[in-house]
Amino acid sequence: MSQEIAVVGSPEFTTGFRLAGVRKFENVPDDEKDERLDDAVERTLEDETTGIIVMHDADLDHLSRGTRERVEGSIEPVLVTLGAGGAGSGGLRDQIKRAIGIDLMEEDD
Amino acid sequence: MAKDVKPTRKNLMAIEDRIELSERGHDTLEQKRDGLIMEFMDILDQAQDVRSDMADDYETAQRKIDMARAMEGDVAVRGAAAALKEHPEITTQSKNIMGVVVPQIESSKVKKSLDERGYGLLGSSARIDEAADAYEELLESVILAAEVETAMKKMLEEIETTKRRVNALEFTLLPQLYENQEYIEQKLEEQEREEIFRLKKIKAKKEEEEAKEEAEAEAAAAAAAVEEPEAAD
Repeated sequence: MSQEIAVVGSPEFTTGFRLAGVRKFENVPDDEKDERLDDAVERTLEDETTGIIVMHDADLDHLSRGTRERVEGSIEPVLVTLGAGGAGSGGLRDQIKRAIGIDLMEEDD
Repeated sequence: MAKDVKPTRKNLMAIEDRIELSERGHDTLEQKRDGLIMEFMDILDQAQDVRSDMADDYETAQRKIDMARAMEGDVAVRGAAAALKEHPEITTQSKNIMGVVVPQIESSKVKKSLDERGYGLLGSSARIDEAADAYEELLESVILAAEVETAMKKMLEEIETTKRRVNALEFTLLPQLYENQEYIEQKLEEQEREEIFRLKKIKAKKEEEEAKEEAEAEAAAAAAAVEEPEAAD
């Protein structure tokens, strides 16, 4: 089954991806992120035709704990965050620390 | 709890079998965990390269779209974005790394030519095209990062599960089995010692009774020998 890429974030963040052809997007203006971002992410997570969710790393701080854990741990669709440098999303880094026992991404800070 | 086990030879043999099986399982799981960690390290190196490339692509794409916004205006950029007809699609296949099924993501229609974009040659500018190009590059990096990060998440889940199993065997099941084995061995030795002591006691008592009977018989014989001459007189 073919799937699509979805982008969630501010209109400035999503416009570029829409230029590249991404048609699944959730625009949440910066001043409404605390109220609306959770719902936007939950809707995207429940969409079975979405294979990848793209978000800005800083936007994860606006999510509630439950939604953040759900989206960070999700494998289908998988979350890819941008703007976090080489360390990847916080969830992945924590998972590495938990599973391996050491912070293998420390050097990237 | 060791005291819940009946101290019988049959139970001891069953526990010894379980210990052997658990030790073998523990060694195998430890090898699996180490193998998974080694495979994970390879993927981690790859992931860090992919992440770093993606960060560069994101920076370039942002610079290009900022330039397009500044030169053409936000409305023109949004208009071009809304006109896109071809949409990138991904299909997922799977491959197996040490029993962990990880995805292989294949993409189509990510890179598009000018005429495939749908906003027309006259309706846009070179800046918007450059921004679209940069975002298409970024999408390719995102797809690669998604593949590698999903593989990492799945490997980490398997490593965590294997680690929990190894720890459960090492720190809970095996110590409990060793404790049960020791308890049964001690109880059986105690029973054996009691049995030997009991047999010795029985033997001693029997010997005592035999000696007593012998003494009585001798005494009776001696008494008879004394009575006989008196009767003859």
